[in-house]
Amino acid sequence: MVNYGGDEVAALVLDIGTSSIRVGYAGDDTPKAIIPTTYGYTETDEPSSEPANANADGDVAMAEGEEGGAAGTQSAKKKVKLHIGSNGPSLWRAGMKVNNPVQNGIIQDFEPIPSLISYALEQALRCNPSEHPILVTEPAWNTPANRERMAEILFEEFNVPAFYISNTGVLNAFAAGKGSALVVDIGHSAASVTPVVDGFVMRRGTGSLTYPCISLVDTFSGLAHSALPQLVHAHARHMLTTPSSRRPAIQLYPHQLIAHKQPVDAGVAPKFELRKDRLEGTTDSWKQWYEAKEVDEWIQSVAGILDQGWNEHAANTRGMRHYEFPTGYNNYFSGIERHSVGEQFFTHSPQLIASNPNLPKPIPNLISSSLNACDMEIRQVLLGNIVLTGGGSLFAGFADRLQAELSRIHSHVKIHAPGNPAERRFGGWLGGSILASLGTFHQLWISKEEWQEHGRPIVGQRCK
Amino acid sequence: MSQSGVGVSQNCINAYQSLKLGKKIKYIIFTLNSDNTEIVVEKESESTNYDEFLADLPEAEPRWAVYDFEFEKEGAGKRNKITFFSWSPDDSKIKQKMLFASSKDALRRSLVGIAAEIQGTDYSEVAYESVLDKVSRGA
Repeated sequence: MVNYGGDEVAALVLDIGTSSIRVGYAGDDTPKAIIPTTYGYTETDEPSSEPANANADGDVAMAEGEEGGAAGTQSAKKKVKLHIGSNGPSLWRAGMKVNNPVQNGIIQDFEPIPSLISYALEQALRCNPSEHPILVTEPAWNTPANRERMAEILFEEFNVPAFYISNTGVLNAFAAGKGSALVVDIGHSAASVTPVVDGFVMRRGTGSLTYPCISLVDTFSGLAHSALPQLVHAHARHMLTTPSSRRPAIQLYPHQLIAHKQPVDAGVAPKFELRKDRLEGTTDSWKQWYEAKEVDEWIQSVAGILDQGWNEHAANTRGMRHYEFPTGYNNYFSGIERHSVGEQFFTHSPQLIASNPNLPKPIPNLISSSLNACDMEIRQVLLGNIVLTGGGSLFAGFADRLQAELSRIHSHVKIHAPGNPAERRFGGWLGGSILASLGTFHQLWISKEEWQEHGRPIVGQRCK
Repeated sequence: MSQSGVGVSQNCINAYQSLKLGKKIKYIIFTLNSDNTEIVVEKESESTNYDEFLADLPEAEPRWAVYDFEFEKEGAGKRNKITFFSWSPDDSKIKQKMLFASSKDALRRSLVGIAAEIQGTDYSEVAYESVLDKVSRGA
């Protein structure tokens, strides 16, 4: 019989999402560090002899291969400096561009991943990765190549003693106490519906997935996900930056670009001055990323969802909400404006559908297509055990509306939505945290020895 | 093996065998041992009172149970179906929920001959009528 050393294994849990990377110790109920997945980088032409390492600011120097091509192998090396963490991309730097390696919940670009992980573990957590087993989460639509790459990075570059990769859908279902559940996860860039049956993700037919388009539903399996949160975001941005009869277009200049401003009354044109010295060095990618953050903040502060279908009158009675932008412009936003944003999760206007055939599917349709791919007998079980998770689901009124929409089509719908916001934002991380803290989980880890002996295939064999 | 690495004690299997073959025991309640490494039998009962069974499911802690469900099928006489319950009330501690959900497979797989499965989070989902409805559907 294996002797367990209790529930203390000091394992780490790493959850990489589109908007943030969550990392912390197994057994805790919230991640210790949350850093943005987006990183900034600056390029300088002169070659430097500095070794690639991280300094105290979290800036990581990284030599990039010869992109210039034919020019020569030694000369045209570009020096790229990465800026990671809470003081990384959000600090203004001349000529800094930003990039995000994660698209639709999946890591698309592994180049900066070691630097991001190193920052998260060594700078943010201040721990030595070679001393801790690490559990990593992955979305249900992750590819086998991707998870093997992750194992490789952690074993080879970080020397971790043990590794495990676990599905966020399953972790969320388990954390809700359910072996079988329909996990509705609203993330920053992707919304997904994952049927979990007896602790495993239903992947019938396992169609190969490709991710170039903005909306996709894998028709071969019950797994469905779409870029719906991006549409919601785009809608809000469009609404704010388009002049209307009620107000002029709102400028989304981030606070880093504003020299000074004066308080103004609601609805009055803002009085502010831009930092002329910074405009030159501001890159488009940084500006776009930060403007997106301003939109997100507006959404999180004032947007909502009506609990019973769209109804202008009902929306109006929700009242106005005040919001001020970094420029000093402030105004009251009507119930209609505030709720039309969240409405995009559930219905699209006919004009929008006509103009864009590739529109991401609304949540109820995602759920239906997911259920249709499952066997009749388990559909009822899934409907009775819907687990709502992800930071995007914290939209005021989301759970009530989903309940209302689904009850219209199906009977016996039961939605489990944790009331504690942390449990929803970090549902996947939390599930991983509990699992990795179990003494009995010891025997499931892939150890370094096993990795060295079996190589990549062991990841697929062990982590189902 | 379950996804949590938790094992099943031989007692569970013995108790289940005697329920299945002996026809005396009406239900068994399973739980985890105190250091969360093994699934053990908490209670075996011969009571045919369904309410008594429900009373053995704690309000804010998960459990598993096997119940020898007996019902009348119209025009076809009595039927028996061994039903497996995963009981996980929403008010349980999250760690308990996680442990029970991820360990269920280990127990479920070692019990051969289960005819129906119920996943319950509140008493309405394990009420006699809803279980009867589910169990009799496939009869």
